[in-house]
Amino acid sequence: MNNNRTAWTMLLPAIGMVTLFIVVPFLMSVYFSFTDQRLLVNPNVPTEFIGGRNYLRLFEDGAFQNAFFRTATFAILVVPLQSAMGLAAAMLINSKLPMRNAFRTIYFLPTVISMVVVAVIWSSLYQTEGFFNSAVGALSFGTVPPIDWLNNEYLAMPSLVLLSCWQGFPFQMIIYLAGLQGINKETYEAAQCEGATRWQEFVHVTMPGLRNTHILVGMTTTIFAMKLFTQVQLLTQGGPRDVTDTMVRLIYMTGFKRGEVGKGAAASVIFFILVLVISYIQRKLVKEDRAIS
Amino acid sequence: MNTPRESLLLKIIAITVAVFVLAPLFLMFATAFKGDEQQILRDFGNANAFWVSPWNMSLENFRDVLSNETFPILKYMRNSAIIVVCIVVIGIFVNSLAAFALARMKFTGRNWLVLFIITLIIVPSESVAIPLLLMMTKVGWVDTLRAQIVPFIAHPFSIFLFYQFFSVIPKDLDEAAYVDGASRWRIYWSVIMPLSLPTVATVAILQSLEYWNAYLWPTMVARSSEVRPVSLALAQFFGTPPPVWGDVMAFSVLMSLPILVIYLAFQRFFIQSAIGSGIKG
Amino acid sequence: MMKMTRRAALVGASVLATASMTTLTTTAFAADPIKVWTHGGKADGERGQLKTMIEAWNAANPAMPAVLEEQPEGAYNDQVQAAAASGSLPDLLDFDGPNYANYAWSGFIQPLDGLVSKEALADMIPSLIAQGTYAPDGKIYGLGMGDSGLALWSRKSLLEKAGVRIPKGVDDAWTMAEFEDALAKLQKVEGITHALDVKLNYGQGEWYTYGFSPIVQSFGGDLIDRTTWKAEGAINGKAAVEAMTHFQSWITAGYVVPKADGDDSFYGKKTSAISFVGHWMWGAHSKALGDDLILVPMPNWGGKHVTGNGGWCWGISKTSTQAENAGKLLNFLLSTKNVATLMNSAGGVPGVKSAAAEVALYKEGGPLNLYLAQLNAGMGYPRPAHPAYPTITASFAKAVADIVDGKPVQDSLNVAAKAIDQNISDNKGYPPFGKM
Repeated sequence: MNNNRTAWTMLLPAIGMVTLFIVVPFLMSVYFSFTDQRLLVNPNVPTEFIGGRNYLRLFEDGAFQNAFFRTATFAILVVPLQSAMGLAAAMLINSKLPMRNAFRTIYFLPTVISMVVVAVIWSSLYQTEGFFNSAVGALSFGTVPPIDWLNNEYLAMPSLVLLSCWQGFPFQMIIYLAGLQGINKETYEAAQCEGATRWQEFVHVTMPGLRNTHILVGMTTTIFAMKLFTQVQLLTQGGPRDVTDTMVRLIYMTGFKRGEVGKGAAASVIFFILVLVISYIQRKLVKEDRAIS
Repeated sequence: MNTPRESLLLKIIAITVAVFVLAPLFLMFATAFKGDEQQILRDFGNANAFWVSPWNMSLENFRDVLSNETFPILKYMRNSAIIVVCIVVIGIFVNSLAAFALARMKFTGRNWLVLFIITLIIVPSESVAIPLLLMMTKVGWVDTLRAQIVPFIAHPFSIFLFYQFFSVIPKDLDEAAYVDGASRWRIYWSVIMPLSLPTVATVAILQSLEYWNAYLWPTMVARSSEVRPVSLALAQFFGTPPPVWGDVMAFSVLMSLPILVIYLAFQRFFIQSAIGSGIKG
Repeated sequence: MMKMTRRAALVGASVLATASMTTLTTTAFAADPIKVWTHGGKADGERGQLKTMIEAWNAANPAMPAVLEEQPEGAYNDQVQAAAASGSLPDLLDFDGPNYANYAWSGFIQPLDGLVSKEALADMIPSLIAQGTYAPDGKIYGLGMGDSGLALWSRKSLLEKAGVRIPKGVDDAWTMAEFEDALAKLQKVEGITHALDVKLNYGQGEWYTYGFSPIVQSFGGDLIDRTTWKAEGAINGKAAVEAMTHFQSWITAGYVVPKADGDDSFYGKKTSAISFVGHWMWGAHSKALGDDLILVPMPNWGGKHVTGNGGWCWGISKTSTQAENAGKLLNFLLSTKNVATLMNSAGGVPGVKSAAAEVALYKEGGPLNLYLAQLNAGMGYPRPAHPAYPTITASFAKAVADIVDGKPVQDSLNVAAKAIDQNISDNKGYPPFGKM
């Protein structure tokens, strides 16, 4: 009994705060999504129940479909690329490379840099007269004219992907490094005794050994990708032609910028459901994987 | 063992990656130290963008930024420091205490609570931002440091990290202490926490980075200069035309410096603990 | 544990130490000071001037001192909204043009009639009185120290070299055909990579509405019908589509400086020939180009000769506990001397008649006299002062951004029309607006 009381006393601050600041707002989100709640309630137009109008509006003008599609595009590009970079860097650091620790220190740097700073730096690289255009010009012997990277319908998203990968890959690197160090050294020695090539070693020892790490990396990176906002808001504001308009930006624009809390809440609810679905699918994958192995 | 050809290849790849990682940072530092804005714009188009000759280094941009009264950067850095220190210090106690109860004590509803915390990890803060904003508006917390601190102290993922670590500490340790008559509080403070320094560090580092760099939430609640954190200030400084690259980069350097210094000073520990959290994750 | 705590404490202490080195300019006041907010840019002379004025006010009125706080321009509107929500608006604040209608409707600000002296009101130029008058009650909620000027900047030598006619005044302004012909000619001049800079680098925001809605209005379209308050048919009508199709054709022809080219293609790199921007670039332009700089009247794009006007104006919050003092301060700011000082440095059109003679730039023959001539010719076309303005401007700016990116004009404007009308109907027509 005493145990119960002590335990709950210890839990109270944390549980109280997560309830107040996560659970309650979430329930409010669901409630607001069926009203025309405004950020600033005007005495002339009181808040009313409006049924599913917010949801209808979100889909009616295609805003949500677009935001979902763009966010998914980002995730599909960024997850494999960033994971591959992270794995490659982790393998480098885990190898017999001289000065491994120095390289590890360097590789980890981008992650400690704020995304706002990263966006500022990369936007200078993407200028019309910036470094990337000079490089493209030089490599093509001047045949390719300067490209407006962030304002090009087809290149804006890949440009954001590149800078996001630069900033994010060290995180994946660290998780993979842990995964690599968790693989039994003897397995490698056995493979070498059997005369396996480096590639065979990679395919038959490293990759299977990292199965659970892959899932962990894939899961966290996907969810991280779904929250894409800062880079977009600073560099493209959702443009050109909405190709970089993401779900979080949609929530921000409707709920905060336009003060349409009801509609913003509806977008938040759908966003939450999508994140939940992804988490669920990936958890299922982990379980199946474990069943197979 | 690696063949000489392999190790040469490894070195080349490693250096290429290092160049890719470092180039943007060099660009930031080099530009910040260039006094002539026109020169900066010219240099952006070639490799000079990443370099500043030590003889031509100028502190003018830093002087400009530090004396800018519309964007008092030191005040913003102070705001961010207060926010981060409060969240991290209070957060460590609140979260580890909850995790201790969950991991090392038996009580009614424990399993249910563990599940509850794990479920909450999935809830993205972005999806509760709008109602939370309305809540802050209702209680008059908009435009305060409180609004940027209090909602983020209790952190399900941190609780989870502590929970995982606490779960693998051998039970006989605190059983022994308990038999000796130590209270649960005493066991938490004198037995478990001293063993958990790597996790404390992991949580502190993860949280510090998250809130030093926070952007979405401050955009919504930090109105006046008095409470504006540095990342939001940089975004606004960068977004106010016309862009003065030298000043913007100097601002970026000033903002990144504290974190870089802390990282370089504690990096071994920093990465070790991050690896630790990776294994358990 | 001990070790860690000490380390953490050291780090914390050093961070705080750095921060505390900030020199905080806190001055103790006897009375509650009048709180003043203004939008701050990064590099305008306006800021310093305003500070000097407030200092002068404080010296002369120690009994009712004022403190000035500058807020970054980019998010100024959000900040005002947030402050209004938490009931912490300052006493006196400035806001960009027609946004005041929404503030008045939402009850953030109060009428200035009675707070500002009759003499000061009588001295205001008509375009500013028109801008600040809120239709439902006919009262004035916002007063600016200056009006804005919108025309084209160019270089005399370039126009001569390209063989483009230089208009003498408002009456012989270029037509659309002449303007487009000039673009074609200027594009071919050596060193010019883009004939026209329309400041796309400002990004999707108020500039897009302020700068480009006059083109729509010149063709007979508008952002919204000013009597029925319906956007459908106005913002996406035939006239608007025709206007914006011209606009888009300049982009597709490669005349327009792209966003990523930065701010200085006209006055720094000198790679663009015509700069379509407001009076606020006078400082940068005149400094870089000297006597070669020329102000070309706003073209008569589509038949109705109009230009943008209106700008930042002052208002007093409803929650202000010392509205009368704030009104006195506003009187002081609107004095001949202060308006003249500000306009001489910032370059806007003086907002009070009595100051016009003292602002050299705007005197007969002065380099910016053209702005005054445009307004005197009745070309000023204020943006719609309707509570839905935030939605109207955001939707139009979005449509412009899409049009710049190559989306079909009609589609882009249809989206804007729908968004605006939906917003108005969702707010029940913004009563009492709908009932007028």
